[in-house]
Amino acid sequence: MVTIWYGLLGLFFAAYLVLGGYDYGSGLLLARSADRRKVLTAVGPFFLGNEVWLVAALGILFGAFPMLEGELLAGLYPAVAPALAGVLVVTAAVQLRSRAAAGGAVWDRAIIGGSALAALGWGAVLGGLLQGVPLHQDGHVAGVGHILTPFAGASAVTLLTLTALHGAAFLALRLPGGGHARTGRRLVPWALAAVAATTVAGILSSRVREAVQRPAFTLLLLCLLVAALVVAGGALARGRPGVGFAATSVAMAVPVAVAGLSMWPYALVSTVDPAASLTVAEAAASGPTLRLLSWLAVPLIPVLLSFQVMSWWIFRGRIDGRAPVYW
Amino acid sequence: MDPLLLARLQFATTASIHFLFVLVTLGLVTLLVYLQTAWLLTRKPVYERLTRFWGTFYLVNYALGITTGIVMEFQFGLNWSGLSRYVGNVFGAPLAIETLVAFFLESTLLGMWIFGWHRLRRGVHLALLYGVAITAYASAFWILVANSWLQHPVGYEERDGVAHLTDFGALLTNPAFGNAFGHVVSAALTTGGFLMAGIASWQLIRRTRDYEAFRKSLRIGVVTATFGITMAVGFGFAQFGYLGEIQPTKFGNDEDKAAAAADFAARFGGSPTDYLPPAWVGAPLGFMILIAFTLMWVWVFIPFFYRDWIIRLKFPLVLLMIATPLPFAAAIFGWFFRELGRQPWVAYGLLHTEDAVTKTSGAVMLTSFTALLLVLVLADWVLLARVAHRGTADPALGRRPDEPHPEPADRPEPVLGPIGGTSW
Repeated sequence: MVTIWYGLLGLFFAAYLVLGGYDYGSGLLLARSADRRKVLTAVGPFFLGNEVWLVAALGILFGAFPMLEGELLAGLYPAVAPALAGVLVVTAAVQLRSRAAAGGAVWDRAIIGGSALAALGWGAVLGGLLQGVPLHQDGHVAGVGHILTPFAGASAVTLLTLTALHGAAFLALRLPGGGHARTGRRLVPWALAAVAATTVAGILSSRVREAVQRPAFTLLLLCLLVAALVVAGGALARGRPGVGFAATSVAMAVPVAVAGLSMWPYALVSTVDPAASLTVAEAAASGPTLRLLSWLAVPLIPVLLSFQVMSWWIFRGRIDGRAPVYW
Repeated sequence: MDPLLLARLQFATTASIHFLFVLVTLGLVTLLVYLQTAWLLTRKPVYERLTRFWGTFYLVNYALGITTGIVMEFQFGLNWSGLSRYVGNVFGAPLAIETLVAFFLESTLLGMWIFGWHRLRRGVHLALLYGVAITAYASAFWILVANSWLQHPVGYEERDGVAHLTDFGALLTNPAFGNAFGHVVSAALTTGGFLMAGIASWQLIRRTRDYEAFRKSLRIGVVTATFGITMAVGFGFAQFGYLGEIQPTKFGNDEDKAAAAADFAARFGGSPTDYLPPAWVGAPLGFMILIAFTLMWVWVFIPFFYRDWIIRLKFPLVLLMIATPLPFAAAIFGWFFRELGRQPWVAYGLLHTEDAVTKTSGAVMLTSFTALLLVLVLADWVLLARVAHRGTADPALGRRPDEPHPEPADRPEPVLGPIGGTSW
């Protein structure tokens, strides 16, 4: 049961990076878009339904893995804080931008900056997970400087490039003729370079080498990531934005799988005291809590999914002059 | 600075601000359900204008409601990791349920409601709003289950210093929960009612172009406020009956207080005075009751509906405008009493506040977070004032897609007519 809940946690966070990722990616591309209102209209109906995956993932983390929640968020504070700040700024700015009479440019800059912060921050969080934290036996994490490594920095930049590419693929699909496919195609080599740089930084870092329990499996996931990026580049070049978007979605989800599965059976590896490392089973809530949540999740998750699918179905298709404009 | 004090200050600030938005969200969504249902049934255009106007106001408020809510959720892990470590097995469950059952659906449905005008059938579109309202109430329900557990821990057993869930039903029948939930919901209705009446009064005083819509808003607001404040006072006093029993150091008589403090000192060490809340904790309670009794007078305005005396006499409008911020103040005072009164416990009689705080000191980050939030909140309030000021003329919400839509960002602000420039 613990494994299922760990999988659900990963699934919700990966869904957040895929769905919220194109919000932030589109937000980043506002910097290069002539018609910003159209970009926001393309994201429009999905925006509120995308961020909820983060909140739900956090709810699962708190409810099903209370031991992990405090240590993970507090231990990776310097990475979580900018991610959270970015999320807040984007959440507020997208919704308020068009309600302001003046200052639209300020709100736009807030969306661009917030999207960049969110992407960099979540990248650093995933990188931070892979390199472990100085977790002590009593459950507290010493200091905050441990996260500042080349590997965490490379992870942050990688997620930023992936996010921008993902946003370009989404816009190529929703807003054909906006030149977004070309932007996406140009971003692919950057994304590949960033993935390569992060991999090298990871191999050179002794902390990452020690934390990763099954390097072969991690390598396999990285091959999947590279393949997804290559497919995305090819599809965008051939005018197949649907395939391109599917491929970049895979590329956004793979980093979560890398961070979640490479260290199995550990959920959080300690760099100072191997005995303090937290396994997934230790991190989980006790039996009665998990049973209660499971009874609830069985009917609930299909309902949640069906409302999301309903939203995608109602507002599917390309943006034209008849699309409702609100943001 | 002391990380405990900073973490507490930050929690107090963000929780108070979050609750201001929650009050409006809960109160207005209820009134929106009424307005849009009336529109569907009567097909009167005034109800369409009202739904779109109050819908826009609701959405601008909701933007910061989510933003501050996300901060609240992260704060538990960032600043209060002891909370998840020692009581997370029990306290985490209602919070997890809230995010999945309530918030997740609320936002998904709301996204469809905003963009679904003219695309979905009217009945379906209204059903989405009902869904938003139900999930908003569900959200309040589960958050209060979680908060009530901290006030009065039940349904658990302690093993090796960690609380484990034994009886989830006990969390729902917790004496600290039922009346508090009724109290919060009626406070939200009160706030929504006074807000609607206050903004309508402002529009009517400056001789609005849409007299019909704001006359209706005024009436709906006053009736809702009357109903809400009566219920809020009832649910408030109902809690006095047992509060001294479940939290003697907060609301017991002097003997019970001393006995409970001595008992805590004997069980957990320290002196009995360490287990008493600050002496002035009764003050916020007093202020809240004072405001509530003032607001109770709102029913007096109902007879003035006759021949629109409430508008023609003008002074009721002025009084209603002055009253608009009062329910917010009362709600914050109420939470101060509830939350400060249980100190030094974060979970009453189970976990000290100082044992729950994260050891890592991130003082600079804490303060910059709160500063960022405050900037966003202020910007939001300015926009809310602007929405209220503009009135019902062509909000973007629910505009027909084939209508030409002006680009708000590129358009100069229309010059507002002088007060009294148009006739009623």
